[in-house]
Amino acid sequence: MNNTRRLIRQTLTVARRDFIATVITPTFLIFLLAPIIMISLSMVGGFGARSAVGAGQDKQRLVVIAPAAQTASLVSVDTQLRSLFRPGDDGRPPALRIDVPQADPAAQARALFTAEDVDVAAVLYGPLERPQILYTPRQFFGGNYLAQLAEQTLRAERAGGGITTPLSQPVKTAIARGQSSFTGRGQVAFFGVFGLFFLTLMLAGQSVGTMAEEKSNKVIEILAAAVPLESVFLGKLVGMFGVAVLFVAFWATLLLNLLRVVPADFARAFSDMSPAIGSPAYPILFFAYFAMSYMLQGAVFLSVGSQAATQREIQMLALPITIFQVAMFGFASAGAASPGTWVALAAEIFPFSSPLAMIGHAANSPSLWPHLVALVWQLLWVAITITVGARMFRRGVLKSGSPKFSLRTLFAR
Amino acid sequence: MTSELAVSASGLVKMFGERRVVDGVDIAVPKGLIYGVLGPNGAGKTTTLRMLLGIIEPDEGQRMLLGRTAPREASDQVGYLPEERGLYPGMKAREAIAFMGALRGLPWKTGRKRAAELMEAAGLGHAVDLKIRKLSKGMAQLVQLLGSVVHSPELLVLDEPFSGLDPVNQERLEKLIVAQRDRGATILFSTHVMAHAERLCDRLSIIAGGKVRFEGTVAQARGMLPLRAHYTPHRPGEGLRELLPADAERENGSWRFTVPPEGIETLLVRLIDAGFGISGLSIERPGLHDAFVRIVGAEALEGAQA
Repeated sequence: MNNTRRLIRQTLTVARRDFIATVITPTFLIFLLAPIIMISLSMVGGFGARSAVGAGQDKQRLVVIAPAAQTASLVSVDTQLRSLFRPGDDGRPPALRIDVPQADPAAQARALFTAEDVDVAAVLYGPLERPQILYTPRQFFGGNYLAQLAEQTLRAERAGGGITTPLSQPVKTAIARGQSSFTGRGQVAFFGVFGLFFLTLMLAGQSVGTMAEEKSNKVIEILAAAVPLESVFLGKLVGMFGVAVLFVAFWATLLLNLLRVVPADFARAFSDMSPAIGSPAYPILFFAYFAMSYMLQGAVFLSVGSQAATQREIQMLALPITIFQVAMFGFASAGAASPGTWVALAAEIFPFSSPLAMIGHAANSPSLWPHLVALVWQLLWVAITITVGARMFRRGVLKSGSPKFSLRTLFAR
Repeated sequence: MTSELAVSASGLVKMFGERRVVDGVDIAVPKGLIYGVLGPNGAGKTTTLRMLLGIIEPDEGQRMLLGRTAPREASDQVGYLPEERGLYPGMKAREAIAFMGALRGLPWKTGRKRAAELMEAAGLGHAVDLKIRKLSKGMAQLVQLLGSVVHSPELLVLDEPFSGLDPVNQERLEKLIVAQRDRGATILFSTHVMAHAERLCDRLSIIAGGKVRFEGTVAQARGMLPLRAHYTPHRPGEGLRELLPADAERENGSWRFTVPPEGIETLLVRLIDAGFGISGLSIERPGLHDAFVRIVGAEALEGAQA
């Protein structure tokens, strides 16, 4: 046998072992089907994101406060102007509502911005020749649309062909919204869920290989003899969480400082984004849910990773872990897109999607008590996951326990 | 099980699959002694120690560690050197020792201070701030042993502590173990090397095939075998073999045989009267190794190694 043939044969021998060692594992099946699962879950996530934004858009309104006599002509012109936009076009103006003027139209217009049933984007009141237009900073376009509506309505009423000077001279005023808008809340919900998912995806997955160090250098035997395995698991999780917090603190500081130099126009685009629960509570809850999400998912990955016998198995676990995280994100964002539905409730109750879903809940609802309940619930599941993980480790890796496996023995001391 | 015992267990059983790795082990380790658990490879020594320490749970039987039925409750008073040595390679030696102390409830600051003192006393003063990966295997092993005693435990459990050490480090380790006993600690260690057990153990158990085959002192173990004689005749000749015991074996010009139960004096008189005389005679006490082989038996040895 010449050297080349020997080299090929040796190479194939190594390749054969690696191929078989990789393929004949349960995790390979998940790896194999990963693209289908990933696409499905991405669609769920994408649909959730779109729903979160779309749900808010359906609630948006442009309001004209005008006498009943002008209603027909306003509606007619609005219909003509809307024909310029394709149905479903993202730039299409919100639906028009015409209100009859009350004693103080200015106060009536301002009050509309605190309405709870709709998101009022812009309001026009006063005579069409000199209308007053109020708009939220993000709805500059809505204000312009109402100005054009007034101009075209006047032209239609006067049937003035050949008029070249503007008939309407609007006065536009940007107004701060009295409370968060549906759209803003939907966006906060989505960005909150996505932010939490993104951080957990980046950071919690690292816990999968943390027990590998102790297993490979045999320190686990010393740890297991000195402290309960539950403490080992929790200690590793808390240690890794400390690393994650440091990471988040670094980037949060950097981003907050970057925001100071963001152009005003760019900042205005996010001015509507205000969580229902309020600003001081939301960041606190975000951190609390980040901690819970990290701990819950980290505990699962740590437990699963601690069962892996080799570095190869740990690498193979990376994909199922990502899939699991994307699944939780898809579930939670679908819940955040439709608050109050059974999907939202299920996502809030299911322990591993609960932190993600609850940060969406905080954006959509001002109640504080559900968060206290949720945090206790999630903490309970962190404890359960760690306990089960530690017992599986004791049984499977430290070889403790009776030969016959059962759930009863798993939970028995 | 009394409070005079540091460790006690009765009827310990551990199954791995269908295999009964530990099969009803009873053990009683008095306080303040060096107690050896001897046995061939695969005898169940490590599994027994791990059960005693609470690392794994027995399938049957009871155990008591420093007066507590839940071994983990005594964790802070126990030091443990596992068979498979383990240290974080990136840790400095002093930190590694302090870390092991901290796991057993010793404050970090005290741990660091004691670590330096212990390393100095063990002749490793120069390696205090070296990372574990920079140490030789023997040094790392000593560091781990120091980590198991840094918190001055009442009970020190050492699983095959001498394996992988060169003779110099083996002697250092023996001194360390004796020093621990002298300060009042109980030492329970497993080994399959009889020489260490013979030099160190106050009492011992011999385990084979998952069962305890002997429990007692080294002298009692050795006393299980009769004395052996090494006799060299002054004038060898015909008829000598007939006068010697049946198990006598010729070795060059000498003979080896078991000393008869009634003593050797009668035999010597007969040999002298027959004119063979005595050129050389020594009475040999069998070593622990011989006792071990006798106790464990070839069958158990084969079974354990299979």
